[in-house]
Amino acid sequence: MQRAPARRRYTVLALVIGVTAVALGGLASSTPAAAPATIVFGAEQEPPCLNGVLAGCNNTWTSWTVGIAFPGAYRQKPDFTWEPYMLDGEAKITSRNPFTLLYKIKQNAVWSDGRPITSDDFIFTATTTLNPRNDVAARTGFDQMKRLVKVNAKTFRVVFKQPFAAYKQIWSGAFGVLPKHALQGRDFNTVWNTNVNNPNNGRAISGGPFIVSDYQRGQSLTMVRNPRWWGKRPAVDRIVFRFITNTDSEIQAMRGGEVDAIYPQPQLQLSSLSRQSGLKVESNLGSNLEHLDFNTGPRGFSLARAPWFRQALAYAIDREAVVRQLFRTLNPSLRPLQNLTYVNNQKEYAPSFSRYTFNRGRVDSIMRAHGCSKGGDGIYSCGGVKASLRIGTTAGNRLRELSLEIIQAQAKTAGIDLRIDNSPSRIFFPAVSDENYHIALFAWVGTGDPVGQVDIYGCGGGSNWKAYCSRKVTNLLRQSDAELDPAKRRSLVLQADRIMATNLPTLPLYQKPTYFVYKSKLRGMKDNPTSAGPTWNVEDWRLGGVTN
Amino acid sequence: MLTFILRRLLYSIPVLIAASFLIFVSVSAAGDPLSTLKQNPLVSEQTLKNISEKKHLDEPLLIRYGYWVQEAVTDKFGTPLLVEEPIWNDLKRVIPHTLQLVLLAESFAIFFGILIGVYSAIRQYSFFDYTTTTLSFLGFAMPVFWLALMLQILFTNIALKWDVRIFYTSGLSSTDAGSGFGFVVDRLQHLAIPAMTIAVVSMAQYSRYMRAAMLEVINSDYVRAARAKGLTETRVTMKHAFRNALIPVVTISALNFGVLIGGAVITESIFGLDGMGPYFLNNLLSQDAYPVMAWLMVVATMVVAFNLIADVVYAKLDPRIRFE
Repeated sequence: MQRAPARRRYTVLALVIGVTAVALGGLASSTPAAAPATIVFGAEQEPPCLNGVLAGCNNTWTSWTVGIAFPGAYRQKPDFTWEPYMLDGEAKITSRNPFTLLYKIKQNAVWSDGRPITSDDFIFTATTTLNPRNDVAARTGFDQMKRLVKVNAKTFRVVFKQPFAAYKQIWSGAFGVLPKHALQGRDFNTVWNTNVNNPNNGRAISGGPFIVSDYQRGQSLTMVRNPRWWGKRPAVDRIVFRFITNTDSEIQAMRGGEVDAIYPQPQLQLSSLSRQSGLKVESNLGSNLEHLDFNTGPRGFSLARAPWFRQALAYAIDREAVVRQLFRTLNPSLRPLQNLTYVNNQKEYAPSFSRYTFNRGRVDSIMRAHGCSKGGDGIYSCGGVKASLRIGTTAGNRLRELSLEIIQAQAKTAGIDLRIDNSPSRIFFPAVSDENYHIALFAWVGTGDPVGQVDIYGCGGGSNWKAYCSRKVTNLLRQSDAELDPAKRRSLVLQADRIMATNLPTLPLYQKPTYFVYKSKLRGMKDNPTSAGPTWNVEDWRLGGVTN
Repeated sequence: MLTFILRRLLYSIPVLIAASFLIFVSVSAAGDPLSTLKQNPLVSEQTLKNISEKKHLDEPLLIRYGYWVQEAVTDKFGTPLLVEEPIWNDLKRVIPHTLQLVLLAESFAIFFGILIGVYSAIRQYSFFDYTTTTLSFLGFAMPVFWLALMLQILFTNIALKWDVRIFYTSGLSSTDAGSGFGFVVDRLQHLAIPAMTIAVVSMAQYSRYMRAAMLEVINSDYVRAARAKGLTETRVTMKHAFRNALIPVVTISALNFGVLIGGAVITESIFGLDGMGPYFLNNLLSQDAYPVMAWLMVVATMVVAFNLIADVVYAKLDPRIRFE
């Protein structure tokens, strides 16, 4: 048989390839294939494992995804206040000495298998958290409890060792309340690594508006509407969290419609999304409090041990300019943070640090008053010690790196030399916790509540890596932890804040803005800049035109 | 041949042991793996102590290495530092994803690389030859992360402008990928852009090797003899020259396979593919030595295996090669 000429064979081959490519392309749909009432949410991080109570699994996206299935006693709102969620009204203070709270659970609160959510579940959650064999992330609040007393199935009493002002945060963390009937007798460190099932029947369990229906590790987590949800019925049938850890890929997925919403860390390239039609961008002041810590310990800079030097440094930094340079495209309304505890968007906020604006004249007068003089290079020397110190942050975090470059340039014009010394976080944070640094730029995640501040700013505090010690500040913060009157509590905290504004162990910079991008056809989505995150009100989400 | 293979496998064992020890020491000594946890003031000392005891973090490095070997042999590499979930389950999940990507990318690269190389050699110094030479060097020089981003932007813009989605820019599958043929098509659409990204460099490499090998072969005596016997040019090229020119390309591609199985870290990370690359990177950044070691052992085994395959195939293709 005679073979066809080579040219014809190659032409046929090319045609076959072309037709196949068109056929495959034609099989593509112009919008992602999805069932009706599905929201695809691009998640920037994947939960390391699903049990958000454990230290190894405890990251924000665990609580923002799986945590939906485990609501708490209270819920934090976007204005940083707390509202009862699973509780039927506020927890009642029945005694101040000893400090005792009475909790009433909503009568209709049930698990997805129909079992009611009861006092036993709350008590079980407390004992599980306190169990030293369990590798839990945080025991704050639970470790203040002296006794838990069940009154009836929906009511229980908690007697505390001492008054604990932040009681609303208890049973309101990453996972609010755990199901006793599912978890009792199980190894809590392993039972919920890759699912949140009731081990007794192998079915997923939830006390929230959605329940986990599918988890493909490394790819996505799917939650469907919980038919037994005791709150407002969600309008959306399904939420799919797709793990897209690269910011550029997240942006392209959002632009191309592969996802319906994203909640990325603020990066400069995000500004392109605000110009795209069909997308809504919400940016608010978040709860990550970026700040500069000054090490006053033996391994810090010698001059920095003196408050006057730290004040001079604060006047040498133009925080307004830093914020404007970094965020004018992402969030033009962002202003410097002027408080170490309360945030700009809280009613308790007071600008204790507002006096520190860029003022070269003030720097000069402070330095000269303490015997410092400028050398030929324009840098001050004080008693033979040149005002040249290290300033560092986490390498690879572009916003922080830019912050330092700006601050370095500003300080230089005022006669202080800051040498940038960034390192990867795995090296940076151990150095900071080892008090081996001069100035460090990083963030604390605030809850808007002063609890935990004594650990950071109090004498001998476990997270006081600045060697800062003021007995007055320590006492004020300790008192605030036990002060139940909100106005008095605020007063105590602000007194401490004003002292620290003078002593300057820390200079607050800004609250890192949140960035919530979603398709404008979606309704009900509202950013929550607290640790509750963007999924705090999933039951209110709906697609345009779809109602309850 | 069998003796050769057995000898090579035996030589590999001390290499693997030495590599595992060096990597373990490097990763473990790089810093405190609990440093991230320790930054959180709410994490209790008890929790840190539990984890430290479970993973023997307070023991000397040599002892810790011993524990790792024990867990690797008796418990399939054990569990990571912070999560009580078998490492082997994660590896079983990520290896096939990387294999799919590598197979697709290499198939594409080999097919087109060979095609371009052969035609460039046959039409040496033609416009096609010069163009493909230039593009090859561009392919070598192009940063992978830049190419990945450019391709993502290109296909996103196509989707935006014409409302047609040809390929997806991230992930392995769509939400409702379905099953059977629909699933396969969806997977191909997700892997296409990452595969193109990897294939560009490989294709540049294969086309150059193929061209050089073809040029050497088509000017050799036996090919000249075949032409003298009156065979058509196509028959001479494809039946006589091509097969012998294929030898170096086959060898290189076998070696590439082994290396790429380790995970095209940048490509997989950018496209959000749940493969060996991000698995390694995430655990390395967390300073979690156990998963990193498991990854290493798998990759090292693959590299050794594919090196061996390359040698065996080389011998099969070229009868002049004999193993002593």
